[in-house]
Amino acid sequence: MKSLKGPYCVFFFIFLTSCFFITVSAFSRSAPVNMKVATLESISISGSAIDDIMGNVVGVTIPLRRAGRLFLLEGSIGNVSGNFILDTGASGLVLNKTYFRNSRAIDDEEGGGVTGTIAAVERIFVKQLLISELSYANISADVTPLGHLENRRGVKILGLFGMSLLKNLEIVVDLRHNELQIYKLDKDGNRQGASSSSSVKYDIIQKIVEYHNVMFVKASIGGKILDFCLDTGAESNVLSTDAPKNALNKVTITRRSNLNGVGQDKGEVLFGTLNEFIMGSRQMHPMETIICSLAAMSQKYGYPIDGMLGYDFFAKGKIYINLVKNQMGICLLQEVKP
Amino acid sequence: MKTRAAFVFVLMVMGAALAGYAQFDPENVCRMDDGRLIFTLDQRWTTSQKKEIAQAYDLDSVLMAWAMEGRPVITQNGIRWTTRKLDAHRIELSKEQGKSSGKDASNDKIILVDDQWIKLSSAVERESVPYGVNRLTRNTVVNLSDGKVRFFLPGYRDARRVFVSGSFNDWSTLQTPLHACDSGWTVTLGLDPGKYSYKFIIDGKWTNDPYNKLREDDTYDGYNNIFFCYNYKFVLNGFQNARKVLLAASFNNWNKTQLRMVRIRGSWMLPLYLREGTHAYKFLVDDQWMTDPANKIKRPDGMGHENSFMGLGDTLYFHLDGFTSAKKVAVAGNFNAWNTGELFMDRTRNGWQLPYVLAPGNYEYKFLVDGKWMPDPGNPCSTGSGDITNSCLVVKPNYTFRLEQFSGATTVMLTGSFNGWSPDGYRMIKKAGAWIFPIYLKPGKYTYKFIVDQKWILDPANDLWEDNEYGTGNSVLWIEP
Repeated sequence: MKSLKGPYCVFFFIFLTSCFFITVSAFSRSAPVNMKVATLESISISGSAIDDIMGNVVGVTIPLRRAGRLFLLEGSIGNVSGNFILDTGASGLVLNKTYFRNSRAIDDEEGGGVTGTIAAVERIFVKQLLISELSYANISADVTPLGHLENRRGVKILGLFGMSLLKNLEIVVDLRHNELQIYKLDKDGNRQGASSSSSVKYDIIQKIVEYHNVMFVKASIGGKILDFCLDTGAESNVLSTDAPKNALNKVTITRRSNLNGVGQDKGEVLFGTLNEFIMGSRQMHPMETIICSLAAMSQKYGYPIDGMLGYDFFAKGKIYINLVKNQMGICLLQEVKP
Repeated sequence: MKTRAAFVFVLMVMGAALAGYAQFDPENVCRMDDGRLIFTLDQRWTTSQKKEIAQAYDLDSVLMAWAMEGRPVITQNGIRWTTRKLDAHRIELSKEQGKSSGKDASNDKIILVDDQWIKLSSAVERESVPYGVNRLTRNTVVNLSDGKVRFFLPGYRDARRVFVSGSFNDWSTLQTPLHACDSGWTVTLGLDPGKYSYKFIIDGKWTNDPYNKLREDDTYDGYNNIFFCYNYKFVLNGFQNARKVLLAASFNNWNKTQLRMVRIRGSWMLPLYLREGTHAYKFLVDDQWMTDPANKIKRPDGMGHENSFMGLGDTLYFHLDGFTSAKKVAVAGNFNAWNTGELFMDRTRNGWQLPYVLAPGNYEYKFLVDGKWMPDPGNPCSTGSGDITNSCLVVKPNYTFRLEQFSGATTVMLTGSFNGWSPDGYRMIKKAGAWIFPIYLKPGKYTYKFIVDQKWILDPANDLWEDNEYGTGNSVLWIEP
């Protein structure tokens, strides 16, 4: 065997350097604050509150913008306008500290995760949040640095638009047409007014478990039934390294990154193709996924998760999420129907 | 006999090459099995193939080399790797995946994927095309005589809200509403000349302009419409009996069929968008070439004929007072790749001068007086220090950084993401008690700091700042389109 020390050393150095920057850029800018599901009690939307939010209309369509694989909604708080990331993996409204550093803090409340741990986040009072035709009044929001997201994706990000802001509604995520549809529901979970979803023929119907304003669904891989968080704020699906071996065996691994950082920025990330993913009774076409640890996230959710369904999942078709019936319907795009 | 042996040898080499090639399938190198991460390596891989695998899977070259050698156990960075020989050429390298191993995603509020992994291209800058002519079957986008642009969407009278979103408003979905008119929806905007992409948003739904034939891929399985905001009009008076008149020019590579002129009230005209600069052109009247009779500027085309010449854009003048006894003075900067033999200045009564056209932007330059470099003594804006001080030139600045305090400071520098956080920064100018620096910045986000007598500070007049890796923060500035 010939020694590889000569030219390989140079390559090795370049390779390590580039990997370091790639992985650092991918993960190390994450804010060092735990508050993915920190606004449990922030918003409670009753029927009348929905009327306040949507006015007289029974359904609205909000155009989505894209930044990388993130979906953006445009809106404003006071005189600050910009984009909010549609993030069903966040429980409520989370704001970027850059723009809301000096907002009035809510003193007597603790920013806490679902496990009750006190997180190092500020909570502020928001008088009015406008998102397209939606208007939210007197709500609370967590504040945390999100500048790293702006710098990575080159757009002004005011915050994250989480699930409690969509409570008791039906949302339709349609990435083919870059739009988010929102419908008012009656107490039985049927759309109000003339618009009806009864004529929609879903390819897949699946029950949703809503827990602390985060949505979880079941799917199987390699014959094992797994719990996934539905997360539009994930640029890729994520499969936990603690998922059953039979499921992990079904991933074709195409990339690996070994991060030599410290603490939370240390560790290995695998990237590949998720095969034999079955939801309902339907096997879906292979999807891209990351494999990394979700141990601490499961602990914070208080719900053991095997993975997250992000961009690759939502790109498979039109996704209907009824938050009264706690049900998800999927109309697969023609080209991805098995 | 020799020939036959050579033929057999070539076949063997080709066979070996093909066999080696057949083994290389980068996407089937790695798998997980029963809690182990397993790589199947092949000794027949070429050096570049090994590099490709090492890069894709972040594998240390030493680890790979030792595995290829067949070392049974390799411990590296606390990780115990084992190898297993599968056949004459293939080796399995594996490690155990511990419980909750791998990077913990718990602190990522948003899960981002590495751009290279998902083949995500970076944000596309506004394209600088040399020229453009609109192709509309109905006047849905109109260049008005006052330089403004009017959008018109026919129909949709039952719609509640209509917006236009495009590269001119950074694809804002709310910033530019259209107003209902008798036959549809309309809005008039003031835009700089150039190429723009757009879509309408009708009651929340992205909608293309069906009357605009110029379109380009929107990278999301659809397309954007394209229009050009005009800044020039070619005119040829007379020739009323001509059947057709075309324009051919340096900016369209002298294509004789692309740019057809239109007869309007006794003249032939062609309005268009044209990039700033100097352009050569000719008319083609019923297939006969002719220069522009209304333009006196004509230069030889090198083939025994002449072309008409026109210039578009503001001309700026480099001045150097004095140095009247110098033999040769040149200017060089980052706008001409610091070429010292290109831009020689003209002698004037009091010094030297050079007219030049530059697009809006930030530039650095120096004079070269009889071979000796010097910054522009008449320009207080500079960057760098000592011998590597360059003069700064900002063409059409659109923002001025201002620091009102620190009037007693000796030097104040400006640095940020716009200059790669150069520690030398831009030297700010003291004007009416404040330190200022005018600059040209494209739309987008910028982070910056001031350096006051060597001390880095946030902009005290800017409430917007974000954390940095040093815990000292960076001021944040957004330049809107």
